[in-house]
Amino acid sequence: MKKIAIIFRHAPHGSAKGREGLDFALLSATFEQEISLIFADEGVLNLVPQQTPEAIGAKDFLAAFKALPLYDIECVYACHQSLADYQLEESALAIPLEVKTPAEIAELLTQADEVFVY
Amino acid sequence: MSKLIIQVNQPGYGQGSSYQALQFTQAAIDAGHEVLKVFFYQDGVLSTNHLQSPASDEFALYQAWRELGQTHQVPLVNCVSAALRRGVLSAAESAENQLQHWNLEPPFQMGGLGELVTGVEQADRVICF
Amino acid sequence: MILHIVQYSAAQDNALATSLRYIQPQDTLLLMGDGINSLLQRKWQATLSDTQVCLLEQDVVARGLQTRLGQYQQLSQAEFVQYTLTHAKVITW
Repeated sequence: MKKIAIIFRHAPHGSAKGREGLDFALLSATFEQEISLIFADEGVLNLVPQQTPEAIGAKDFLAAFKALPLYDIECVYACHQSLADYQLEESALAIPLEVKTPAEIAELLTQADEVFVY
Repeated sequence: MSKLIIQVNQPGYGQGSSYQALQFTQAAIDAGHEVLKVFFYQDGVLSTNHLQSPASDEFALYQAWRELGQTHQVPLVNCVSAALRRGVLSAAESAENQLQHWNLEPPFQMGGLGELVTGVEQADRVICF
Repeated sequence: MILHIVQYSAAQDNALATSLRYIQPQDTLLLMGDGINSLLQRKWQATLSDTQVCLLEQDVVARGLQTRLGQYQQLSQAEFVQYTLTHAKVITW
């Protein structure tokens, strides 16, 4: 088992990165890896509630973020600075998570065995 | 000597990183390391399209990947779901989808994301391009 | 000690700015491909002055930037492979 940190740094919908990152996260969890997710930079826009990607012909992959506990993915973090940059309040995010400072995120990256960025 | 996984996330034409990944893989093998597999994910699956036809005076990246895989017995594995969405199909997926054509040929092969995960578990390092 | 790789110029993508937010003093930043173009701008030269920066020699030569970027450490492919192993992990942004 490895500690795998997965960073989402791109907004949803504009590319398939977020969706393919989430696929990788869920699959790694089913293979018994210890997964943590980190939302950073524009990736915090994955956390905006009530998105309806169907309106632009995209699949609502964001719904799967709500299923993270079912996959035993409990370490979910967002960058405090990135949330502030996009004026997002922790209380108004689509899923429960822990807000971390950039220094704390740097520490998470140090502790992980592997880090993937989507 | 170390065990490495190389992940390629960008297409073979128009962006440089599939070439960088090829160079790195060759250098790692030359240094005596074991490349467990090269895994193509995201737009990287486009690097494996057999029908890529560069002009005769251009570097043939697809060919170079193929030769590297054959010469050094390095598995070249596509994420099947990323590939299907981008129109890269082997004969088997083509038949399953009632299509008449396909564009993935050996030594490239289809695999699941699970192959990446098990590779990551075995590897000393994962290097993404 | 982490090897961070940034493959895009700052004009193409926010990877450089994002990575710098989480890079620690002992880490190394490898600018690859168009990533090296950021070093031509005073702004990024200044921002990166306290970061251990290295480049791939082939990227510098390919872009005709040997003179402009001569002060930065340049790696051969073999050295790049070594760097991925002498650092504890590799993060490609």
